[in-house]
Amino acid sequence: MTTVTQDIQPILKKYQNARRDSLITILQEVQDAQGYVSKESVIAIGQHLRLPASKVFGVATFYNQFRFHPAGRFHVQVCRGTACHVKGSLSLLDTVKNELKILPGQTSRDQVFSLEVVACLGACGLSPVMCVNGEFFARMTPTRARKLLDGCRKEAVQS
Amino acid sequence: MTTMPKSLFAALEVSTTPDPAVLEYLKAGGVAKDAGQEAYLARLRRDVVSKPVIYLGTGTCGMGAGAAKVGNALRQYLEANHKDVEIVEVGCIGMCAFEPMLDVQMPGKRRLSFMQVSPDNVAAILDGVFAGKIPTPNLVGQFRAGPAEAWADLPYLDEHPFFKPQLRWVLEFSGIIDPGSIEEYIARGGYKSFLETIRSKTREAVCDTVEKSGLRGRGGGGFPAGRKWKMALSQSSDQKYLICNADEGDPGAFMDRALIESDPHKLLEGMMIAAYAIGAKDAYVYIRAEYPLAVQRLREAIARATAYGLIGDHIMGSGFNLQFHIKMGAGAFVCGEETALMHSIEGRRGMPRPRPPYPAQSGLFAKPTVINNVETLANVPVVMRKGAEGYAAVGTATSKGTKIFALSGKVQRAGLVEVAMGTSLRTVIFDVGSGPPAGKKFKAVQIGGPSGGCIPPQLLDTPIDYETLKSAGAIMGSGGLVVLDETTCMVDFAKFFMEFIQSESCGKCIPCREGTRRMLEILDAITRPRRKEENIDALVRFQGIMRLAELAETIKITSLCGLGQTAPNPVLSTLRWFRDEYEAHVFERSCPAGACKDLVGAPCQNTCPVGTEAWRYVAHIARGEYAEAYRVIRSANPFPSACARVCDHPCELMCRAGATGGEPIAVRTLKRFVVDRVAPDTYKEPVKPAGANAPKIAVIGAGPSGLTAAHYLGAMGNRVTVFERESKPGGMLVSAIPEYRLPRETLRKEIDSLLNVNVELKLNQTLGKDFTIDSLMDKDGYKAVYVATGAHQSKRLGLSGDDAVGVLPSIKFLKAYNLEGKHLAKGRVGIIGGGNSAIDAARVAFRQKGVTGVTVFYRRTRTEMPAYAEEIEAALAEGIVLKPLVAPIGVVVKDGKLGGVKFINNELGPLDDSGRQQPVPIPGSEHVVDLDTLIVAISEQPEGVGLKDLKTTRWGTVTVNPESFTTSRPGVFAGGDVTSGPSTVIKAIAAGKSAAVMLQNFVSGKLLKQLPKVKLPSFYVEPVQVAGEEEEGDVMVARVKQPHLPVEKRRGSFAEVELCISEEAAQCEARRCLRCDLDFTRPLH
Repeated sequence: MTTVTQDIQPILKKYQNARRDSLITILQEVQDAQGYVSKESVIAIGQHLRLPASKVFGVATFYNQFRFHPAGRFHVQVCRGTACHVKGSLSLLDTVKNELKILPGQTSRDQVFSLEVVACLGACGLSPVMCVNGEFFARMTPTRARKLLDGCRKEAVQS
Repeated sequence: MTTMPKSLFAALEVSTTPDPAVLEYLKAGGVAKDAGQEAYLARLRRDVVSKPVIYLGTGTCGMGAGAAKVGNALRQYLEANHKDVEIVEVGCIGMCAFEPMLDVQMPGKRRLSFMQVSPDNVAAILDGVFAGKIPTPNLVGQFRAGPAEAWADLPYLDEHPFFKPQLRWVLEFSGIIDPGSIEEYIARGGYKSFLETIRSKTREAVCDTVEKSGLRGRGGGGFPAGRKWKMALSQSSDQKYLICNADEGDPGAFMDRALIESDPHKLLEGMMIAAYAIGAKDAYVYIRAEYPLAVQRLREAIARATAYGLIGDHIMGSGFNLQFHIKMGAGAFVCGEETALMHSIEGRRGMPRPRPPYPAQSGLFAKPTVINNVETLANVPVVMRKGAEGYAAVGTATSKGTKIFALSGKVQRAGLVEVAMGTSLRTVIFDVGSGPPAGKKFKAVQIGGPSGGCIPPQLLDTPIDYETLKSAGAIMGSGGLVVLDETTCMVDFAKFFMEFIQSESCGKCIPCREGTRRMLEILDAITRPRRKEENIDALVRFQGIMRLAELAETIKITSLCGLGQTAPNPVLSTLRWFRDEYEAHVFERSCPAGACKDLVGAPCQNTCPVGTEAWRYVAHIARGEYAEAYRVIRSANPFPSACARVCDHPCELMCRAGATGGEPIAVRTLKRFVVDRVAPDTYKEPVKPAGANAPKIAVIGAGPSGLTAAHYLGAMGNRVTVFERESKPGGMLVSAIPEYRLPRETLRKEIDSLLNVNVELKLNQTLGKDFTIDSLMDKDGYKAVYVATGAHQSKRLGLSGDDAVGVLPSIKFLKAYNLEGKHLAKGRVGIIGGGNSAIDAARVAFRQKGVTGVTVFYRRTRTEMPAYAEEIEAALAEGIVLKPLVAPIGVVVKDGKLGGVKFINNELGPLDDSGRQQPVPIPGSEHVVDLDTLIVAISEQPEGVGLKDLKTTRWGTVTVNPESFTTSRPGVFAGGDVTSGPSTVIKAIAAGKSAAVMLQNFVSGKLLKQLPKVKLPSFYVEPVQVAGEEEEGDVMVARVKQPHLPVEKRRGSFAEVELCISEEAAQCEARRCLRCDLDFTRPLH
């Protein structure tokens, strides 16, 4: 538990004498470094900015970006923007849910996959779009999604 | 090589040392001091290059389409061929659908642009360019600007239909320059306007120019930018802020991302000018964290501009100070609203507050603040460069300049499009975007994201500006254009937006938080099948019908911020233009577009008029269970062999495999494979024996509809008599459809197998001559009559001389051959019409003796022809000539015989109600075509003999209740072509099948009603996995092609043209199925 708070100290140090307007930036940087925002980080950030942890948590939960448990080794994002919807992203999402057996916002028990639904990735010309660890996959079909996830799974088993 | 940045907080690794020559040029206010410097700048602009330059598009779109792989292949190629080439990574030129894009500039030559480059074809393209032989399939065009020599005979980029209607002011450099090079931006005249502004213009003058230019906010409401700036300028305060809203949360809009990725300095320059104009010392960019590449490019651009002294204190000796800050949005749509956005920057929850005070008075940290969207700010340098008048010269009365649209959805050329305000949507969607993918009909375009609305086809020609869109029930918004085609359900689409808004509502005010939830519940209730009617479900549905519009209006009026006030727009606008679809969902529990999953199940089954479980037999074929597949087909359709050959396969049109860019499953071809393999007696319909006093039912007409009704009525234990005028049963299947499409032996076997013990067939019995409806009901004791006499009367041309010898109605011509073997066509044969009977007549004439040539004349073009595409294809292959865009205006008669036909040429004009372009005659284009035989195939209608007692429409068809098939006379039912006019075989079969149920209800004294019932897949067929198929990777397996009889064997022969596919091909095709059914079925164990 102590390690988590220690890990974020360098980040907090960057924001000396920071005020509340740095809160979201700090949360983003913590998530960037640790993959999620832990309970301990929320408390530490609150102490640093002299804000109650409840306020910090309130802000963090308001925004879709923040996760409160670690992401999987493969973080899968399925775009549900308008263009993707029109081109069948719902059945794509259903396929991914069935394949991974997790719901959006969850991480699989073996920590291999986590699933997130995003409003729009801004690559509407290539819809439907899926993103695995930041890499875009254009014009997905359920079949191609299954193959992609199988590939990730194999990679996870090998290492 | 560009990669998606792993962390947006890591220290920047860019060199920011300024180029002294460029810095000197910049300090001089963008004026070159001598020819040497000018030449240096030209090299920076790459007007002239000393070695080949390859430009690779590496925006998010390009990367998503595989630009990184192309880059690797490119480097390998260059290394292997020892080429000294400069590689420049550029942003996105806007042709997203054709990414990855790659440009090549050879020394002394104009730059060439290539599309759809892949690791496989990059070598071939470069080989071609280096050898001076330009590979045209991938070429988009050559650039027009620049002093270099043009390539002879190659098209220009701005002549490409994607670019031709565009006016690129803001996107002028996008995809052309290196976004990582501030020097190139400066060499192209960048930051010149900014320097001029801070050195020689007062703040008031800048605000004036912007106000006079008529620049309005491009992010949504369209508030005049100049006026907003003046408001902030007039406030006295020690600190003011400028915020650039790059929180492009509208799903379907991506112009801000592309702009920042491709030309970040244009945005920075616009922000600098705006900050100067309002007197702000701090400028914020609030950008989505979902755009990592854009954030990265922006950070680098700011670092470079700072190094050049364009950011900081005392900029270029002007005394003006400016600092830039990047704030990343954390994924909340509501933060696009200005007050919510400011709360987010302040580190609070992004919730809006009431206005006034407006941000220009009291905004960020309670200081005067101007918030403008990316596109608005990127327009500012354009305004300053062109001047207020120059800018305002383009556009409409109220909306000036250009607008960028993000075109996506069901459109062939998706991408970023910048057009002058006032351009019509048709130009953007059909000229630039090339319309929906082939074979699909345009339904609507959604503009403005979740706050916007849908524009129906009839409004496509209105010029786009803020006001016209508003009056059409939409908004400009950020300019996301999502094109929808006939497979998009408008109710489902409205529900999608409602779900989005519902989850993005910040929860502060009740109308938005609770109201959107209630609206979503209503939409949910009308897009799912009937549940238990005793719970609240029925009430919610009822509420939906009564209250949806009212609730929407309330939310609109009472919500706090823009998000809530516009939240009901998608529902209101779809309700306004597509009310019929809502009604189909509410009253019939059906989704006409086949998109609402819970109402549709598998689209193939849902769209089939007889409800064939296409998914199920396709799955059986994949498993090799052909007898089982046959039973599935036959249990729904008594004419499997006929439909396997002549059905218009609506299932393929709706197939989801075809919806995502692939090709639909060849369902009919697979059906043909099964019926050719399996004997009809594999399936036996259980027949209830008819007792002595079983009701007697008469069916008039032994076509597909009559025989289907007789088959099912017989099976239900009635005594059925079928009366047929001709000497053979089959109706149009035997008299109109030629033998080469439907072999007679196959048809005979099929009809034999569906006549059961309770059905008696009486041939050569003509209604109105040998018997009447009265005689059947009054004398012969039939309890009910089903009239299915079809539509056999060809319409006449309506021109004088259309009764001359040699002019034949198409049905008469086809019957003469099909039933009696007479060859009526002679010499030069002309056919007028574009439907299936026209093509049938043409292909039959082609096979007759004494025919020298066959020409089909049609008034529109081939794309508008109602005949099946594959039939037209086959006709052309056989040598039949198609003359489109001609209409007959007179018949030339010589000695009572046909001599020729006088035609006039047509061109395609405006759309008619059916959404097709109307043919308009071209005066002076009249000409005579000499013909010996003219076959008129313009349409057919029922003959009317013996139907006089029944009420008919003005088209001569019998009027029936569409639900119960009852005519105006009790006990008499009608269905098929006699009620609908000429239609498809499968619809006639469906009518016979449904009418049989109604007739059965009638004779047993039950209600003539059918409750709408949703048919969902309910049988689990285990999918097959074939070893080795996994390794194929991303390669898409192509749709199977049905083999055809060679053309040289067809003349004079009526042998079947379409042949059966092999077992291997069938299984491969069946495995392509996406198996929509698996969402509904589970294995038993």
